[in-house]
Amino acid sequence: MTTLRPFTCDDLFKFNNITCRQHEAVLYGIPFYLQYLAHWPEYFIVAEAPGGELMGYIMGKAEGSVAREEWHGHVTALSVAPEFRRLGLAAKLMEMLEEISERKGGFFVDLFVRVSNQVAVNMYKRLGYSVYRTVIEYYSASNGEPDEDAYDMRKALSRDTEKKSIIPLPHPVRPEDIE
Amino acid sequence: MAIQQADKLLKKHKDLHCAKVLKAIGLQRTGKQDEAFTLAQEVATLEPTDDNSLQALTILYREMHRPELVAKLYEAAVKKVPLSEEYHSHLFMAYARVGEYKKMQQAGMALYKIVPKNPYYFWSVMSLVMQAISAQDEKLAQTMFLPLAERMVEKMVKEEKIEAEAEVQLYFMILERLGKCVEALDVIRGPLGEKLTSELQSRENKCMMLYQRLQRWPECNALAHKLLLKNPDDWQFYPSYFDSLFHLIDQSWSPPEEGEHCPEGAVHHTVAEVVRFVEERIKGEDGKESRSLRGPYLARLELIHRLRERGCPEESLLGDPLELMVQFFGKFGDKPCCITDLKIYLHLLSPDQHVQFVNRLSEAVPLGERGEEGFAFPDDTKALQRHLCVCQLSRALGLHHALDVDGKLRLIAELKAHYRHGLKFGKNALKTELQFSDMYCLMAAHVYIDLWKETGDENMVWQGLGVLQEGLSHSASNAQFKLLLLLLYCHLGAFEPVVDLYSSLDAKHVQHDTIGFLLTRYAESLGQFAAASQSCNFSLRFFHSNQKDTSEYIIQAYKYGAFEKIPEFIALRNRLNQSLHFAQVRTERMLLDLFLEADIVLSLEESVKAMSLSAEEDDIPWDNMRDNRDLTVFTSWDPKDRELTAEHRRQSLEEESVWLRIRSLTLRLLASLAGSGHAPSQQNSEIANENGVGDKSSILSGLLSQLNQTLQTANQIAEKRIQYPFLGPPSTRLAPALSSGSCQCQAAALQLSVHLQELETVGLDESTELQTQICNAFKSLVVQLQEILNKCKGDLLDMKEGKLKTWSSLLENLIFFVETVCIVLWMASHCAKILRPLKTSLQKKKKKKKKDANTAQPVVVCGFQELTGSLQDLLTQALEYIKGQETGITALKLASLSLDEYPQDEASFMKAAMDKVQSSYLRSLQEAGDLLKKRAETIKNLKI
Repeated sequence: MTTLRPFTCDDLFKFNNITCRQHEAVLYGIPFYLQYLAHWPEYFIVAEAPGGELMGYIMGKAEGSVAREEWHGHVTALSVAPEFRRLGLAAKLMEMLEEISERKGGFFVDLFVRVSNQVAVNMYKRLGYSVYRTVIEYYSASNGEPDEDAYDMRKALSRDTEKKSIIPLPHPVRPEDIE
Repeated sequence: MAIQQADKLLKKHKDLHCAKVLKAIGLQRTGKQDEAFTLAQEVATLEPTDDNSLQALTILYREMHRPELVAKLYEAAVKKVPLSEEYHSHLFMAYARVGEYKKMQQAGMALYKIVPKNPYYFWSVMSLVMQAISAQDEKLAQTMFLPLAERMVEKMVKEEKIEAEAEVQLYFMILERLGKCVEALDVIRGPLGEKLTSELQSRENKCMMLYQRLQRWPECNALAHKLLLKNPDDWQFYPSYFDSLFHLIDQSWSPPEEGEHCPEGAVHHTVAEVVRFVEERIKGEDGKESRSLRGPYLARLELIHRLRERGCPEESLLGDPLELMVQFFGKFGDKPCCITDLKIYLHLLSPDQHVQFVNRLSEAVPLGERGEEGFAFPDDTKALQRHLCVCQLSRALGLHHALDVDGKLRLIAELKAHYRHGLKFGKNALKTELQFSDMYCLMAAHVYIDLWKETGDENMVWQGLGVLQEGLSHSASNAQFKLLLLLLYCHLGAFEPVVDLYSSLDAKHVQHDTIGFLLTRYAESLGQFAAASQSCNFSLRFFHSNQKDTSEYIIQAYKYGAFEKIPEFIALRNRLNQSLHFAQVRTERMLLDLFLEADIVLSLEESVKAMSLSAEEDDIPWDNMRDNRDLTVFTSWDPKDRELTAEHRRQSLEEESVWLRIRSLTLRLLASLAGSGHAPSQQNSEIANENGVGDKSSILSGLLSQLNQTLQTANQIAEKRIQYPFLGPPSTRLAPALSSGSCQCQAAALQLSVHLQELETVGLDESTELQTQICNAFKSLVVQLQEILNKCKGDLLDMKEGKLKTWSSLLENLIFFVETVCIVLWMASHCAKILRPLKTSLQKKKKKKKKDANTAQPVVVCGFQELTGSLQDLLTQALEYIKGQETGITALKLASLSLDEYPQDEASFMKAAMDKVQSSYLRSLQEAGDLLKKRAETIKNLKI
């Protein structure tokens, strides 16, 4: 039982339901959200419970060159409050982002995830994503822990009929090499 | 370095504009604003048209927060280069940055004439819409701006020039704002609507909204159930579906004899049809191989709720709510959201069913064999979640609250046992992960709080703190543990542990506005002034940065055609600017500066000037204050009658506003003491003069009468003794400030300034009556201060029968004393400043008259000397009290507390909490003591 609707600025004031109830959810500065809302409002969707609580949200964008067949949807953030886990909400939000990317004629959808975050990696695998490449030290360290690598995971969309976009790269890349 | 490079260049090319501007940027960034500005203006007056200079000046002006100058710059540039698309477009954006909508409209059209691109045309249209939104006069919006915008779009439609989705979106916005729902519907359903493809279900959602506004219930109903067929979990359409049914029934709607029910298709216009539809959705879920969706099951409960509200007998068609909820629990009881889902429907049960309901649910929880302590535990996390859900529901039904003290203690024992047992499921959890059983721990703390509030036994709260500290040790990133710990420590008068707890919450950005109140409510009132200043600074930094941030994104929204987001961004900016918390931290930060400022003789003027504070200006948006606090940040499972209500929210905001008004008036009255030292910004002083309120004394008396009025309102509010839920908004300092007498004493001190002003004009010669009056006021201040001080005497912490007890209200009163003394001393210093020249001139006169005259002091001078003497005594007294408390608290041997009755690890967590409280009290005392010592030093300088 979920209301899925476009994210609005007023939702920023309800974010505590997501951030004060779990640790790993990142809260960005207001400019970051506004940038997405100004440029890709359709890619920013919230799930709301009937009581008005925020259950989760997804935020993404479309980018890349069409000519080089790199035009794609990107998942910037996906977060579900712990209380609303295990309901398939993340999958639903991902499905919506994929659908939007299909409509925009994207070749694939991609996302970055910490290599240590096995739960997330497995979930994305279940949703049809595979590791395209490893990005070395993509996540900068905080409080003394070492930098962490990211998987760049991809799922081909129908426009990429031969699924060329998801053929894994043989070697890891550095953050400065990705676009 | 950059400045040197620029200088080098300038030597070679004296008139290289760009180099000058770059130098100006260098100057600006090294703090030489005035020089930078002069240099920049040198270039600007030449009206440069080279791109480099223009861009550099744009950067500079933005850093100087003078965006209006950017517009001027490009106005000049487009005059000289009238066909430049680039400069025109910069001009448009420059206007956008300052919200000059009319000029934007013109700039957009000018652009379109040079380069007929659609976006430029629609920038102009959007600027009309913005003029409508920002118009004070709604009529002007409805009869001029919006119709004009509509005609501009229609022209493009007729010429078949509409290209982009954004253009249709904007057309829709205009029609919607004009209330032309039928026309809007035609657009959405017509060929133009086909362009709305980015957002999912955009057309359907818009149609639904319009049907509702047009009260086209058949269409509303047909569309809702069509969408529900597609996604039976999409909650937003169930209410529309049910609402439309009831409207159709009320209108005795019946379908046409032949043909379609309505353009959207078949309509369900009887309860039976709707019941059948919902039942079918449920059958669909029951029969599914994959995960069932909760939507249809909850829709059934929602329908019962709505039918019952209308008194429809058909409610029984859907079944017994108790059975249905038991069934729901059977299906979804292992999901953490089960409690949130069922909580809204608990009212469907009659009170005598509550126990039966919980018993039925308990039967459906698989637990293992009972252990020694008589508790049976779950074998896996799913069973744990089910058991937890039953506990949560029991609490939400008020069953916990109904227990007597022993019953509650047994319940706590059970919750703690389940908590500790459940830890085994999370042995391999990462540091950042929560434990499966954390919620038991939180609930145990809630029951301890119930007991504390009910019996007043502070031991309950120590145990609550203990269990939360224990929880935190296993689940270091549990924000709810931290939040509740933070609140409990504050209630016990201990702010020191809060600093670390809050910083580990890693609250940032918008959270400074939504939960910053947790810090700022307590830091100052508990005497942790350094932390209080810092908390205000965190919030202020956020609010200030936001102001320049938003305009950038408004511009981006124009560029990308996200027109519907533009009013939203502006509303966001307003919401933050009008935030209650923002106004509070602005005010408190300045008050703190004045309280903490040691040098009372020299620096009031300087401080006031540095804060650009002025008595005549009130920058708080009293009528549009936004309460952005997140008052539901604490997880709570309390029953409905104990939950936070809309009335609580209203009362809390009212109380906060009154308290803020007192503080803000106090601040402005202090500023008025600083005299004419600070000139208000020119514009405002002009207005003030026009209205004839520019003179100092009328400002002063105006502020004082406002303060008195506000104090009256405050008394009325305090008399109501409003109690908020423990996990809801904290009460303000208002009631204790009044009962300590500090408000009254501060007001009396500020009131003195009127008499002093009078004295200043009359002189010392013929003002015996006035002087006596002033002296009486002095005496009264001393009496009042003494009374406040008396109210904080007593031990802040004591240990009786091996139990520790806090007296946080004494600490709060001590801080009221400190604040009040600070204000009285500012007033005293102001007195001294007025009396000194008066005394000198009097002496001169006397010397002239009679050389051997009696040198008796004027009454007021004696009175003042008496005042400073008494203040000195009061400070000495307070410092002695503080010293005594410090010694007493340091000597408390917490180790000798009898915590033997508790298991060893529990006792050690409790002891740790007590240590923290002890240390915090010492710190508060030290800060208060240091401040008073500094103050005592300065009294010497008040001699006249």
